[in-house]
Amino acid sequence: MTKRIIRMLPYIVLIIWFLIVVFPLFWTVVTSFKSPIDVFRGPKYMPFIDFKPSLKAWNNMFVRDRQQILVPLINSIIIVSTSTFLAVAIGAMASYSLSRFTFKLGRFSNKDLAFWIISQRFIPPIAIIIPVLIMFRVLRLLDTRLGMIIVYTAFNLPFVIWLMRDYFDSVPQDIEEAAMVDGCSRLATFVRIVLPLAFPGLIVSFLFSFVMAWNEFFFALILTFQKAQTIPLLIAGQSTQRGVEWWNISAMAIITILPALIITLILQRRLVSGLTLGAIK
Amino acid sequence: MFLRHIKAKHLFLLPAVLILLSFSIFPLIASLVLSFSSFSLAQVEQRLTFVGLANYTKLFTDARFLFSLKNTFMYVFLGAGLQYVLGLFLAMLIYEETIANRAYRVIFLIPMMLTPVAISYTWRMMFHETYGPVNHILSLLGIPGVPWLSSIKVALLSVMLVDAWQWTPFVMLALLAGRMSISREYYDAAGVDGASKLQTFAYITFPILIPVSLTVILIRSIEIAKIVDIIYVMTGGGPGISTESLTMYGYITGLKRFNLGYASALAYTLLVIIMVFGFLFLRLRGRLE
Repeated sequence: MTKRIIRMLPYIVLIIWFLIVVFPLFWTVVTSFKSPIDVFRGPKYMPFIDFKPSLKAWNNMFVRDRQQILVPLINSIIIVSTSTFLAVAIGAMASYSLSRFTFKLGRFSNKDLAFWIISQRFIPPIAIIIPVLIMFRVLRLLDTRLGMIIVYTAFNLPFVIWLMRDYFDSVPQDIEEAAMVDGCSRLATFVRIVLPLAFPGLIVSFLFSFVMAWNEFFFALILTFQKAQTIPLLIAGQSTQRGVEWWNISAMAIITILPALIITLILQRRLVSGLTLGAIK
Repeated sequence: MFLRHIKAKHLFLLPAVLILLSFSIFPLIASLVLSFSSFSLAQVEQRLTFVGLANYTKLFTDARFLFSLKNTFMYVFLGAGLQYVLGLFLAMLIYEETIANRAYRVIFLIPMMLTPVAISYTWRMMFHETYGPVNHILSLLGIPGVPWLSSIKVALLSVMLVDAWQWTPFVMLALLAGRMSISREYYDAAGVDGASKLQTFAYITFPILIPVSLTVILIRSIEIAKIVDIIYVMTGGGPGISTESLTMYGYITGLKRFNLGYASALAYTLLVIIMVFGFLFLRLRGRLE
């Protein structure tokens, strides 16, 4: 009997962890279909059985509060997609350069340069945010989409450079050399030959950076007030405006996490291999 | 040809370096200068005055700062520890290439991709003492309700649990990759010698995973040291200041009270702690390799 339990233990743990991962998501979905009274009557789990589902929250979302939600949503889409595109483009170039050429600056070489770049990710935002705030105030970039695009490009660059290096290292150099012998310039070779070969890496970098920027909260909290507000800020502000309306927040939370959820499911194994590749090094 | 070569090489790298310089080196220098001065946006007259080490000496007599420092350390040590143990355990359960395991990997990955502020609301609902499901489920199991967010003693733990919910997948992924890259031969040899599963783990798997483990613990520790969004939504630093982290306190002093010099000194202290921590870790890892 004890032996059987021990043999079953891994499955039990897996099932429990599965529930821990999935249940909060289920709860959010269920809550978004509750009317206020069903939220405050204590935990109700099953729609139709425990409570009568209501579309109130979703109706609020798409009709009553449409304007209030649409502006941050559009901001988020524009800011995040533009900055991600820029980060991948600029990052891929830098990463290619680090993978193909040798840099020497006194005692420092490529490895140190790469380490310096990745170490940027470890700087706590609070240590740079005040000067950035002052800089943005002077340049009139506060609360603008352009400002946020610049910030998020910088935010994602280290990650892209770090991730793309592995992909560029694995692209054979002979093809490039052949192209250059045929008179192709460096830039043309890069765009027409190297980038297509490193395409899987570009996709992983793009989607992952997209999610990181989409989820970012702290920079947006400090550098935007209203006009350029992003979705995470809209959510974070919910508890103060009208008291906590859980049904509305749940609907909003679902819309917020949906892009990331879809991206995770699309990427699946690519993400597993792409991210872990870097993590072991 | 040679000249063109040089040009391309630098041109490719230049934009990235310029952006990183303007968002790290420049602000870091400015922060350092600020941390030695008194500069408040709240005053009518905005002037930068050099005050030497005053901000730093004040910091170490500021009870609230010391408390948030202690909280941050708690988040880092308990959180990274919990995430590592859980992540390692899960990775060991799903490393084999089966269809079920592939499904588990994808599902287990989901939390780390979700927006922290949104997830924090979800958990605030889950942990609600009267209408949240967590206490309800515990009561069905005969366990008395826990004051997740209202007790000074438990709230910090709750924040840490949510961070663990979100980031254990990351640890799991890294260790999973590490486990999958270990050659089968070791295990075949261990099997011939009649080693038990626990022995194989203790003498083969775990020692090989040490470098990956150190890296992943370092990454998580640094990330947790910056914790703010979960706290902002779940507890707002409360009850009282019981869940306040350094970043949260820095945000309050710098961006709510506009005490920029003092907030910069606080941020720099955090930065130095992270740097020292990272350096020691890398040294340790270097020695083990």
